[in-house]
Amino acid sequence: MDWIFLTELAINGALTGLLYSLFAIGLVLIYKASSVPNLAQGGLTMVGAYVVLALAHDAGLPLWLAIPLAAVIMFGLGFGIERVALRRLAGRPVIMILMLTLGLDIFLRGTTLAIWGGTSRSVELGVSYDPLILSDIFISRIHLVGAGVALALFVAFMVFFRTRTGIKLRAIADDYMASWSVGISVEHGVGLSWALASVVAVAAGVIWGEIQGVDQALSLLLLKGLTVAVLGGLDSILGAIVAGIILGVIENVGADFLDPLVGGGSRELIVASVLILTVMIRPHGLFGRHDIERV
Amino acid sequence: MQEKVEAAPILSMNSVEVLYDNVMLAIKGVSIQVPTGEMIALLGSNGAGKSTTLKAISGLLKAERGRISRGEIAFQGTDITEVLAQNRVAMGICHVIEGRRVFEHLTPDENLIAAAPRGMSRSVLNAEKEKIYDYFPRLAERRNSQAGYLSGGEQQMLAIGRALVTQPSLLMLDEPSLGLAPFLVAEIFGILQKINRKEGMSVLLVEQNALAALEIVSQGYLIENGRVVMHGTAAALKSNSDIQEFYLGGGEGTNFHNVKHYSRRKRWLS
Repeated sequence: MDWIFLTELAINGALTGLLYSLFAIGLVLIYKASSVPNLAQGGLTMVGAYVVLALAHDAGLPLWLAIPLAAVIMFGLGFGIERVALRRLAGRPVIMILMLTLGLDIFLRGTTLAIWGGTSRSVELGVSYDPLILSDIFISRIHLVGAGVALALFVAFMVFFRTRTGIKLRAIADDYMASWSVGISVEHGVGLSWALASVVAVAAGVIWGEIQGVDQALSLLLLKGLTVAVLGGLDSILGAIVAGIILGVIENVGADFLDPLVGGGSRELIVASVLILTVMIRPHGLFGRHDIERV
Repeated sequence: MQEKVEAAPILSMNSVEVLYDNVMLAIKGVSIQVPTGEMIALLGSNGAGKSTTLKAISGLLKAERGRISRGEIAFQGTDITEVLAQNRVAMGICHVIEGRRVFEHLTPDENLIAAAPRGMSRSVLNAEKEKIYDYFPRLAERRNSQAGYLSGGEQQMLAIGRALVTQPSLLMLDEPSLGLAPFLVAEIFGILQKINRKEGMSVLLVEQNALAALEIVSQGYLIENGRVVMHGTAAALKSNSDIQEFYLGGGEGTNFHNVKHYSRRKRWLS
C-alpha cells in the first residue's frame, strides 16, 4: 500500500469535494428559504460562468471587475426569476415548483447554447497550472483556491442565517402561511434566496469553468451537487461542506480501487450509489432537519 | 338584541362576501364592528365562516385563493379591502392563525425575531421580547429550545407572542383554545385579558369554546352558515336560551328529561 499516494488521493478528493460543496451551497440556500430543491442550479452556474466570460473576454473588462459585476447581474437575475416565474406558484404543491425549476434549467441551457454556442471556452483565471508540492504530495492550485472560496462562503452564510434577515428566510422555509400572518414578505424572501444562490453560482461557475472549461457540461454539475446537498441534508450549509469532503474522498479513493477492476468509469457509479443509499437509509441526510413529530 | 357602541370602531366590516376559487361562497354578507380597545368574540360551529371572516380581515384569503367579492373592510377609518396582507400587519392587524403554526425548526427566541417588523431597532425588539416573556414566563424558560418540541399550550403562547412582536392594535385569534386542557385555556385567556387591559389592544377572538370566550369579551357575534345571526353583549348572549342550549351545553337547571329535542331547532337558520 502506497500511503503517500493514498494521502494524495484523499487530499485531492477532499479539495474536489469542497468544489462540489461550493456548488451545493447554492442548492442549500434556496432549500433553506423555500423548501424547494432547485434543479436549475446547474443552469444558473453555467450562466454565471458565461456572464463572466462575456464581461471579461467579449467586453474586455479585467477579471477582478468582471466577476463582481457578474455577481451583481446574477443577483438581479435571481430576483427576476422569483418575480416572473415563482411568485405565481407560491403555496402550490412542491412538485409543480420542482418541475418549474427543471424547465428553467432546460431554458437556461438552451439560451446559453443559442447565444454563445457549444464550443468550450476557458476562463483564464491566471492561477498557475503547476501543482503545489507539499512533501511529495501534488496538489492542484485551482482546487485549493476553489476550496478556499467554498469555506469563505460557508462562514459568510453561517453568519447570515443568524441575522434577522437570515432568520426570516428560515421562518419562510418552515411555514409560508404563518410567515404571511406576521407580515414577513415571503415573495421577497424567496427572491433573496434565489439571488444569493445565483451569486454562489457565479463563484462555482468561475472555478469549475477554469477547471473543465465553460460549456454545456457545466450544468451537469447538478448531479454531484445534488448528491452532496442530499447527503449533507438539503437545508444544512455545514452539511454541504462535510458531505462534499466525504463524497470527494470516497469518489477519488474508491475510483482508484474500482477503476482497474471495472475498466474505468466507476466515479459516476460511486456518486450515484451515495445518492441512492442516502435517500434510502437517511433521507434527511447527515445534518438535515427532521420533520418534528411530537408524541 | 341591542347595539351599544361606546368608542369609535377600530374595525368595521360591512356586508362582506368571500368567494373561494371564484365559486364557493364562504361568507354571505358579514357585518361586524370591533370597538377600539374592546374584546369581541366571534362564535359559531365548525364551518360557519368564522375563520374566513378573520382571513378576510388579515388578507390571508389570497394565499388560499379566496377573495372578497362584495362589501368593504375599514381599519381605523381606512378602506383596507385591497391592501396586501403584509401591509395590513404593518398597519396594525395581526392574525394568529388556527393550529398554532409556530416556526417549528426555530427557537422561540428566533420565532419572535422572525416576526419583527422591518426597521425595528435592536433595542426596541429586545424590549418587546422581554415584555412578551413577562406575559408568558413558560416561554422564557424555553426560549432557546426548538419550538417544534414545545407543548401545545406553549406553542399557542408562542404564536400569540410572535403576533405581539408586530405591535398590533388589533389582535385576531383563531381558536386559541383548540386541543388545550381547560387550565391552559384559562391561563391563556387570562393573559389575553391582561394584554387587552394593559396595552389597550383590541382583540377579535374566534372560538368554538363559547363558554370560555364569553367570560372575557364584552360583546359577541354568532355566525352560522356564513351569516351573522346574533349580536349582543356577553351577558345578553350568556343568558340567551338558544345560545345556552346550542353553544354552552345546556342552561342552568335544565332538566334533560323534559327537553323536547324535536321542538328546538336553530330557528334563525331556516
